[in-house]
Amino acid sequence: MSDPYKILGVSPNATDDEIKTAYRQLAKKYHPDNYAGSPIADLASEKMKEINEAYDTVVAQRKREKAGGYSSYSSSNNTYGSNNNYSNYSSGFNDIRNLILVGRIADAEMLLNGVPAENRNAEWHFLKGTVLYKRGWLEEAFNNFSRACQMDPGNAEYRAALNQVTNQRNGYYGGYNPNVGRANNFSGCDVCSSLICADCCCECMGGDLISCC
Amino acid sequence: MFGYIRPQKSELLVREYEQYKGVYCALCRQLGKSYGIISRLTLSYDCTFYALLLMALSDECCEFEKGRCTVNPLKKCIFCKTGEKELIKASAISVILTYFKIRDDVVDSHFWGKLRAYLLLPIASSIRKKAARDFPKMDKIISSAMEKQKLAESDKNSVMDFYAEPSAKMLGEIFELSVDKTDENYTQKVRVLQQIGYFLGRWVYLIDAGDDIEKDIKNGSFNPYILKYNLNATSSQEDIMEVKKYANQALNLTISQITAALNILDFNCYDTIIKNVIFKGLPEIQKELLYKKEKMHV
Repeated sequence: MSDPYKILGVSPNATDDEIKTAYRQLAKKYHPDNYAGSPIADLASEKMKEINEAYDTVVAQRKREKAGGYSSYSSSNNTYGSNNNYSNYSSGFNDIRNLILVGRIADAEMLLNGVPAENRNAEWHFLKGTVLYKRGWLEEAFNNFSRACQMDPGNAEYRAALNQVTNQRNGYYGGYNPNVGRANNFSGCDVCSSLICADCCCECMGGDLISCC
Repeated sequence: MFGYIRPQKSELLVREYEQYKGVYCALCRQLGKSYGIISRLTLSYDCTFYALLLMALSDECCEFEKGRCTVNPLKKCIFCKTGEKELIKASAISVILTYFKIRDDVVDSHFWGKLRAYLLLPIASSIRKKAARDFPKMDKIISSAMEKQKLAESDKNSVMDFYAEPSAKMLGEIFELSVDKTDENYTQKVRVLQQIGYFLGRWVYLIDAGDDIEKDIKNGSFNPYILKYNLNATSSQEDIMEVKKYANQALNLTISQITAALNILDFNCYDTIIKNVIFKGLPEIQKELLYKKEKMHV
C-alpha cells in the first residue's frame, strides 16, 4: 500500500486534528451520495475505501506510538461506509433492478421499453430515470423521476432521486446559482457605505449613529 | 462553438495564470510549426484546455521559458518548454474542428458569413487533410460526430438529451484517446475521462444553443430550446428569460457530473487550473451568457 499520508494529502508531521479534517474533506468529496446513480460510482467507492484504509492506518500507527498515553480515536468506527441504493427495496421489477445493479444498462433499458404503456407505474418511471441518468440523458432522467414522484408521492426512494437531481440542477454540486451570486460581491466598501447611510438616516430622525460625523 | 471552456482569471494565482498563458502561447507556436502561420488563427481556449488536460495526465511536468510572441514581436511571452506531444495533438484537434466549423458556416450563415466561409474553406480543408493524416482516428471521430449531429437535428420531434448526444459522445471519445495505454490505471482512467468528455461536450452544446436562442429565433435556425418551448418571433423577453433559466439548470446538472468524475482523477500538475476551469470558469460563462449578455474579457 502506498503512503497513507500521501493519500490523505497531509504531511507526516500533521497534527491529529489536521488529519481528521483532511480525512473528513476527502470523505465528503467521495461520499456515495455524490455518485448515486452515476456509472463511475464504483470508482468513487474504491477511492473511499482507499482513504478509509489510509485513515485507519494512520490512526492505528499514531495510537501505537502514543501507547500508554491517551488515545483520542476510536478507529474505523467513525469512517464513512458506502450503502447500496437498491438492495433494500422490494418491487415488481426485480429483474430490471438486478440488471441495473450489475451495470447491464442497455439490457435493463430494453426490458423497460418492452413494458406496455398501461403497466408503466411510478416504479417504471423511477427505473427508467435511473437508466437514463447513467447514460447521461440527464434531462429525461429528471422528467422520469418527477413523474415517478407525481404518481407515488409517498415513496422515499423516488423522492431521494428527485431531490438529488433537483439540487444538482440548482447548482449545489457545481455550476451557477443565480440566487447566491450577490453574497460573493460583498465588500468592505458596502459595510462603510451602509453605516454612513444608517448614520444619515439616524441624524434625519434626530439621533446619531457615528458620533464624529 | 468556441471559447467557452476557459478559466476564471480573477480566481487563478499569478503563477497559475502564467502557466496557463504558457500553454496557450506554446499551443499557438505549435500550430504555426505544424500547420503553417494561418492555422494560428484557430487558437482557442477550448483546445488550450485540452492540451492542459493531456499534460496534466502525463508523467512529466512542464517547465517554462521566456520568449517573444511571433505574431506580435513587441510582446514578451512565456512558453511551456515540454509537452510537445500533447501540443501536437491539441493543434490537430484545433484545425480539424475549425474546418468543420467553417463548413457549417457555409450552410448556416447569411451573406457575408457565407462569403467568408467560402473563401476560407479551401485553406482550412487542406490544413485539415494534413491533420487527418497525422491523427486519422481523431478525424474519424469528429467527422462522424458532425454527420450524426446534422442527422439528429433533422429530427424535429426529439428531446434535449438526444440533440446533445453526438457532441457529448464526440468529446467523450476524444478524451478517451488521451489516456496512455501503458498507464497502470488505464481502464479506470479511460472510464473517468470518457465521463468528463461526455458531459463537457454536452455542456458545450447546451451553452452554445442557449447563447444562440435570440439569433436562432431571428434566423429561423434549429435550436433545441426553441423547439422545446415553441419560441417564435412574438415570444416576449420574459419567455426567453424563463427558457434561459431552464438552460442554466440543465447546465448545472451537467456540471455536477463533470465535478464528480473530476474528483476521482489524480493529476500530476495543473490540478488547480483544471479545477478552476470546471468549478469557476464554466459557471462564470453561464452567468455571462444567460444572465447578462455582454461577454467579459479574460
